[in-house]
Amino acid sequence: MPAPIDYSKLRIVPDFDTAEWWAAAKEHKYLVRQCSDCGHKWFPPIFPACARCGSLKPGWFETAGKGVIHSYVVVVQPIVGAFVGTAPYVVAIIELDDCREAGGSVTRVAGVMLNDEPEVAIGLPCEVVYEETADPRIVMPRWRVSGSAANAWRFAE
Amino acid sequence: MGSLTDKYCIVGVGETPHMRPSNRTTLSMACEAVSKAVADAGLKLSDIDGMTSYQIGDSTTSPHVATALGMRLNYAVDILGGGSSGEALVAHAIGLIEAGYCKTMVIFRAMNGRSGRRMGGQTPGGPIPVAVAEGDGQFNMGWGWTTPAQRFGMSAMRYLRDTGCTTRAFAEIAVAHRYHASLNPKAIHRSPITIEDHQRSRWIVKPFRLLDCCQETDVSVAIVVTSRERAFDLRHPPVFIMGGYARTLTDSPQWNYSRDEIHYVAGNYGWKRAFGMAGISHKDVDFISCYDAFTFTTLIQLEANGFCGKGEAGEFVKGGRLRIDRELPSNLSGGHLSEGYTHGVQMVIENVRQLRHRADDACPGWAEGRHTYDRKAGCRQLRKADICCGMGWGWENMASCLILRGIAA
Repeated sequence: MPAPIDYSKLRIVPDFDTAEWWAAAKEHKYLVRQCSDCGHKWFPPIFPACARCGSLKPGWFETAGKGVIHSYVVVVQPIVGAFVGTAPYVVAIIELDDCREAGGSVTRVAGVMLNDEPEVAIGLPCEVVYEETADPRIVMPRWRVSGSAANAWRFAE
Repeated sequence: MGSLTDKYCIVGVGETPHMRPSNRTTLSMACEAVSKAVADAGLKLSDIDGMTSYQIGDSTTSPHVATALGMRLNYAVDILGGGSSGEALVAHAIGLIEAGYCKTMVIFRAMNGRSGRRMGGQTPGGPIPVAVAEGDGQFNMGWGWTTPAQRFGMSAMRYLRDTGCTTRAFAEIAVAHRYHASLNPKAIHRSPITIEDHQRSRWIVKPFRLLDCCQETDVSVAIVVTSRERAFDLRHPPVFIMGGYARTLTDSPQWNYSRDEIHYVAGNYGWKRAFGMAGISHKDVDFISCYDAFTFTTLIQLEANGFCGKGEAGEFVKGGRLRIDRELPSNLSGGHLSEGYTHGVQMVIENVRQLRHRADDACPGWAEGRHTYDRKAGCRQLRKADICCGMGWGWENMASCLILRGIAA
């Protein structure tokens, strides 16, 4: 497991479109946007309209926080001060299991893995874990590998 | 364009040296680059009646340059943007001149890309001490995932998985562009490298090593655009604009990661229009330029713009295909990987010089178009440089292109 993130060096600033998302994360709920008119889901919540039907009435969908790793990078040289002691760490793109739509649309989120690089691979299932930060208003969702997969692909260089 | 093909020309180019640091303001550098580009065209500053630039909140503006240089302009606009914006502003210039708003325009970019604002938010001294994650940054800064290397790495990693390509294909790009830099006295890094040097270089963010990443430099660059009627009176043989596309976007451009294929990049949506306007096919292209912020961005642009099939770029670049005197020479100045970093305009400048047959290399007669073609003696002019395809990249989501021809084509 990578060393802890120094959240004292990170200040998250929720805005009018995202405040409810961060409030839900504090309650250990992982939200994505869902259109109140057509049901389409998307992430991140900074986008306040539905890209499928044009509705200006975005609602929320509470996901189970489970998905599959679609891609990842291993940050060896950190740029954000809060992560200097954490490197190397894995940032992953996760395709959420309960946000796949009939038309083929998927919702993918991103986050920092709790696993070290050798445990991470494209195709592996993972689940959200909530981490307290230095800021009592902010709980940060992270992700951990939750199983195996026959078709997993790992960068081996 | 189509009906405007060959009606507009790039007639002047200029730049400041790539420095780390420049110890100058962006305004000071912009004044020098604009003055040099105008002089290169054989024009006076008073002949210029339009000016545009692009920036990311890190640079001076056209009204500042006009004030400093005593220019009275009919049009001055500074847009927000990085890579792919220079080529797009050429398209703006064509439209403005065609519509009669201006006669001759200069486009510049000025940036202290190493000593001032660095890509990804890093300070000149290193990591961001206390990061403020607001707006889009709430969903990347807070995950330690901000730099172009960290962001493009996601599509690169998925590409490797989907295609079976390895990073030895990335190395081919680094080696070819470095070889070209070795023939360019202006380049920051001029020592040739090998595939093995690339493979041994340290990791920055997997799947990218140090030699996959471009330079960060302090520099300003400028180009002058006018109509063909005016172009023929000027100092150099004109370079004609045959076609292009301008900041074409993918779907979901500000969140690439829910798209069907995160490495199906914006060039895919543009190249047929560009080649259609130009009325040429890929085999008419003598050389190319790519936005080589990373080796991978070159690789994926080759596919996106139809130079090879989907998933085939790794095989396509093998064995030095992108080197000078080979099938498809790429980034003849050394590009962002080895010459320096200008958010794309240096490629346009080099392409113009090649098409004029006046690459500023070690040949004593380069300024008059006399070249030896002896690479060992430092000549980097192509023997045949009639048509060039220049490809610009913003992110996966955004791309531009300029197909240019010299007077001989």
